[in-house]
Amino acid sequence: MSTPAWILDIFAAIMLVVAAVSAGRLVALRPWRLGRAAVVTDIDVSHLLMAIAMAGMLAAGLQTLPNDAWAVVFGVLTAWFAVQVARDVRWEGRRALAAGHCTPHLVHAGAMLYMFVAITAPAASGGSGMAGMGGSGMQTLSLPVLAFLFALALIGYSVWDLDQLSGPGAGPHYSLAVPRSVPQAVLVGAPTGAGPSAAPVVALALDGDVTTVARPDVADQAASCAIPASLTGSNPVLAPWVATSCRIAMGVTMALMLILMI
Amino acid sequence: MSEIAVAGSSPAWRSRLGIEAKTSTEAPDARRVLQLALAGIWLLDAVLQYQSFMFTKGFGQMLGGTSAGNPSVIASPINWDARLVEHNTVALNAIFATIQLLLALGIAWRPTVRFALGASIAWSLGVWWFGEGLGGVLAGTASPLNGAPGAVIIYALLAVLLWPTDRGGRPAPFTAARSVGAPVARALWVVLWLSLAYFALLPANRAPQALNGMIAGMESGEPGWLAAIDRGAASLVAHQGLAASIVLAVTLVIIAAGVFLPSAGARAILVLAIVVAAVIWVVGEAFGAILAGGATDPNSGLLLILLALVYWPLRITSPEPGLVPARQEGTPA
Repeated sequence: MSTPAWILDIFAAIMLVVAAVSAGRLVALRPWRLGRAAVVTDIDVSHLLMAIAMAGMLAAGLQTLPNDAWAVVFGVLTAWFAVQVARDVRWEGRRALAAGHCTPHLVHAGAMLYMFVAITAPAASGGSGMAGMGGSGMQTLSLPVLAFLFALALIGYSVWDLDQLSGPGAGPHYSLAVPRSVPQAVLVGAPTGAGPSAAPVVALALDGDVTTVARPDVADQAASCAIPASLTGSNPVLAPWVATSCRIAMGVTMALMLILMI
Repeated sequence: MSEIAVAGSSPAWRSRLGIEAKTSTEAPDARRVLQLALAGIWLLDAVLQYQSFMFTKGFGQMLGGTSAGNPSVIASPINWDARLVEHNTVALNAIFATIQLLLALGIAWRPTVRFALGASIAWSLGVWWFGEGLGGVLAGTASPLNGAPGAVIIYALLAVLLWPTDRGGRPAPFTAARSVGAPVARALWVVLWLSLAYFALLPANRAPQALNGMIAGMESGEPGWLAAIDRGAASLVAHQGLAASIVLAVTLVIIAAGVFLPSAGARAILVLAIVVAAVIWVVGEAFGAILAGGATDPNSGLLLILLALVYWPLRITSPEPGLVPARQEGTPA
C-alpha cells in the first residue's frame, strides 16, 4: 500500500494553488513591458513550472509532460540559477552562497531535476511517464543519499524562510504588509559592497529612457527604503511574502516527495 | 515617466525590485538558530511519518512490539494504543504526521514558538510511552547505539532547553542555561549521558556478540556504502562486546562530566560528544534507517548532536560598571 491518494491529492492541490498564484504574479508583473528587467520573473516562472510538475507527480490525473521533457525544463532552470548564483558570488563573495537570493532556487531546481532523472518507474507502470505517487506501484529514486541531502536542504530553507517571514527583524521584503505605493521612479544602485568595478546605476524606464546615475549610494538608499511601486504597486499578489510562502509550500512538498520515493 | 529601475548586471538588484524576498534580514541569535534546527528535525520526522509503511498494519504492530519487556502498567496502554492504530491506521497516522508537521511549522513561525514547543513536549512524552515503550529503559533493552533513552524524549528535552525565556540577570554560559539556569541544565546533561553509560553496560549490551549483532542488523536495505560501514564496524566489535561496552561507557562518562569544565575544556568535550553522536547515528543507527525506507524518525544520533550544540559555551561581553552584563547575542526570540 502506498501513502493514501487523498493525502497526496491535498499536497497536489496546494501545488495547484502555488501554480495559480505564480501565474497571477506573472500576469500582474506584465513581463512583456519590462524589457531587460523581465528576467526578474524567473522566480515566478520557476515556481509555476515546479508546482505544475509536482502536482503531476503527486496525482496522476494532473500529469502534463513526460519525464524527459520535465528533465530538460529543470535542467535549463538549474543551469539558469547556477549562473545567477555564480554572479552573486562574483559580486558579493562567497557569502552569497549562504545568503544569496538564488541559492534556494538553485537547490529547488536541482532537486526537481534530480527527481526526474533519478526516478525509477515501477514495473507496473511500464516505465513511461509518471504514474503518480499514489499509483499502485511505488516509484523510487536511484542514489537515495542525494534524495536525503536534497530533502534536508529543502527542510532547512523552509524553516529559515518561515522564521524570516515572521521575525521582528523582517524587513519590507519579508513583511506581511502589502507594499505601499511610491509614486516616483525608483533607482537601483550598484550592489552593496561592490568594489571599484561596480557598474554605474542604470535606470531603465518602461518608455525606453535610460539614465546613468553617478550616485549609487543615493540610489541604493532609495531602492532599499521603498519597495518599487512601479513593479508591485498595491497589488497584494505581488507582495514579496507571497513568493516566499510559495517557496515554503514547495520546499515542504518537495522534501515529502523525496522522502516518499527513497 | 520612468518607472522601472535596473542596476548593472548583478542579480543583487533582484531583491531591491521588491518582488523577491531577501534571504537575510536580521541574523537570529544562537538559540533561535537551534530552535530552527529542532523545527527542521520535526519537519523531517513529519515527512517520514507520511511514508507508505506507516499507513499499513505494520505500523500498529511495530508500536505493539515496544511493549515487550515493560511492566504491565506501562505495556497495557501501549498494547491498547497499538490495537487502536491497527484498526484505524490511515486516519490516525495521517493525524500523527500532520501534528508533527504543525509542530515543525509552529516552532519555525515566531509568534507560535512557545505554543509549539509546549505542545511538542506533551506530544513527545506521549510518543515516548505509547510509541517507543519508554525507549526500552524499563525493559533492559535500551542501548546508546539503538536510540536509548528514546529519541523522542530528547525532542522534549531540547524543547525545554530552548524555551524562549531568560532566567536571572546573569549571562548564561551556554544556550541551554538561558531557560532553566546553568545548574539545572548541567544536571540534565549529566543525567542523560550517565544514563547512556549505564545502558551501555547492561547485560544485554555487554554480551560478546551484542554490539556486533546490533550493528550488523542495521545493514538490511541500506545503500552499499552504508552497509559496508556497518559490516566493518560489526566485525571490529565481534566477540568484543564487554570491552567495547566499557570503552563506550567510559567515553560517555567523560562526556557527562564535560559541562563542568571551563570553556576550552567544555568545547573539547562537546566536540567529543558530537563525534560520538555522529558515530552512533551513522554506525549504530544508519541515519535512523531513513535510506532503507520505513524509518519513523531520524533516531537519537542527530538529536544528540543538536543537544551538544545547545551546551556550546557562549561568548560573554564584559559588563560595564553599574550595568547588568549583556550577552553578545541578540535578544531572545
